[in-house]
Amino acid sequence: MDIEELRKEKLERLERALTCKEPDRVPILVFNDVFCGKYSGYTAQEIYFNYEKWKDATLNVAKNFNFDYIFTLNGLEGMFLFASFIEKAPEVAANMRFVTGPYHQILQDTYTRWPGIELKEDVHPQFIGKEIMKKEEYEKFIEAPIEFMHEVALPRICENLANPASIEYNTTLTRLGAEAVNYGNATLQLIMELKNIGYPFFPMAHSYSPLDFLGDFLRDIRNVILDLYRDPETVKEAVEAIKSHLIKTGIISGTIPPEVKEMFGTELIWCFYPLHLTEYLKPELYNEYYWPPLLNVFKETIKAGLLPFVLFEGSHDAHLETLRGIPKHSIAGMFEKTDPRRVKEAIGDRMCIMYGPPNALLIGSTPEKVHDWTRELLLDMKDDGGFVLFPGVDAAGIAKDAKPENINAMIDAVEKYGKY
Amino acid sequence: MTSEDFIKALVELDEERALELTKERVEKGEDPLTILEDMRKAADEIGKKFEDGEYFVSDLILTGEIFNEIMEILKPLIKEKKVKKKGKVVAGTVEGDIHDIGKNIVIALLEAEGFEVIDIGVDQPPEAFIEAIKKYKPEVVSLSGLLTEAIESMKNTIDAIREAGLRDKVKVIVGGGRTNEEVKEYTGADEWADDAATGVRKIKKLIGAD
Repeated sequence: MDIEELRKEKLERLERALTCKEPDRVPILVFNDVFCGKYSGYTAQEIYFNYEKWKDATLNVAKNFNFDYIFTLNGLEGMFLFASFIEKAPEVAANMRFVTGPYHQILQDTYTRWPGIELKEDVHPQFIGKEIMKKEEYEKFIEAPIEFMHEVALPRICENLANPASIEYNTTLTRLGAEAVNYGNATLQLIMELKNIGYPFFPMAHSYSPLDFLGDFLRDIRNVILDLYRDPETVKEAVEAIKSHLIKTGIISGTIPPEVKEMFGTELIWCFYPLHLTEYLKPELYNEYYWPPLLNVFKETIKAGLLPFVLFEGSHDAHLETLRGIPKHSIAGMFEKTDPRRVKEAIGDRMCIMYGPPNALLIGSTPEKVHDWTRELLLDMKDDGGFVLFPGVDAAGIAKDAKPENINAMIDAVEKYGKY
Repeated sequence: MTSEDFIKALVELDEERALELTKERVEKGEDPLTILEDMRKAADEIGKKFEDGEYFVSDLILTGEIFNEIMEILKPLIKEKKVKKKGKVVAGTVEGDIHDIGKNIVIALLEAEGFEVIDIGVDQPPEAFIEAIKKYKPEVVSLSGLLTEAIESMKNTIDAIREAGLRDKVKVIVGGGRTNEEVKEYTGADEWADDAATGVRKIKKLIGAD
């Protein structure tokens, strides 16, 4: 089969599974970060700071494993930048969804810690977060959330943006813009090179859960939870205030030029949502403050033609019923700690479910066990389509120390038992 | 009556009422150790509610906060008293990981239960744990970590404790969202917990204080 045919085959397999139809076999969709680095002889620092090595390592893994899709994340959570700039400067902000190592060096943000800078060179970078907005500032945020991000939050988040209108401030923003262009070019090159070896690509838009936005970027997780107990109505107002902007963020970033869609031969556009507070919240809080605004954002981005690609992080066991409210066949969700069989039992074929061997298994187990585990999963989950194999669910992708022989055992099992 | 009301307020996570009753009891000149004992009872019940699925992580975060607020009031009063601790625990997040929400909840609950906890902080190399074991002679060492990579660090730490000849002097528990039975086996720990309430219950069991 020639490369272009191979790419089309993978593309169709993914498109069908993601939209809840039956493909020829279950697709293998891979997210990773430093796994490709370790596999290719690079440290975490090199993957996160050097775009060339990031590309090289990704292509190396893409060539050596028979996946249907690969995405190598080389940044940390950057929605605070993306959401702040997307409306006025979509062409540059598009490359700011994740904070890369170079962005961190330019901005000196206080949220994140990086290999080779604050951490050892082969350690995973980490998003820690910080209380940026004081409790008494909710009102100001509610009045004008994006102005608040620019005038109050960004100067506190980023040391080099601490003094608006200073030389340092202007220089930092200039550098950030230039680096965003570099990163955008590197990303595009990688996507094209992946295309040349038969890998499909779906454009990705970005939105966010409104309550997570407050927890991750403004109040920090612990504080936003305490606020929910102590002053829930104010939190609700803040959630409503940022919600319409997050819908806009999804729609603007999901407006993909026809020539790009044509280049990749697809109409399918993902809208990426990593969910963070789900496991923390008890149903009374989740059902009141987390889920309704998020469902609203989902529905609006679906209306705009996007397919929410949702990472249900943590355990979702307590919230499965809420999933019945999502529009049929219009969301793809990965579950970290909830057995996908339980999800299927609770909501049938309502959404595409993504699941696969956790890293605990890929790191610590044997090829035989991984093979058997994957076979059992496929036999239970693949009927009627709408299922995607997503390895490494416990770290939103394959982790650094996963054993290549275990990954190959997983692929073998999919080839044997994943066909329809 | 106050004692029952106080425990009830804590278990129901009624922050305002719990603090009000604490101040009332202190003003009345009640022995702070009696108040501590009530906190222990409440912590126990809250832990059970969590394990039964009635309470969630958000409830434990609020619990930790309320307990810390009460401890702020009680600490100056307890200082002079010789309190017999139920056991000693060294707790820290392992090397390469700097997450500490889970660790901090465990510590708040353990302190409420009457344990002495030495918190050595986040991103701590094996040597820091070994040094703390030598210095404080704890019954239990609690290794926290959220990242998948933390599992490797937990193993390295436990290996180092063994090499230092200290493994049979302490019980070790690994805790965090990515831990499970296999991780316990792989790292050579005595116990594991992927939530704070279970962690506290297992630590009590390891110490023999359950």
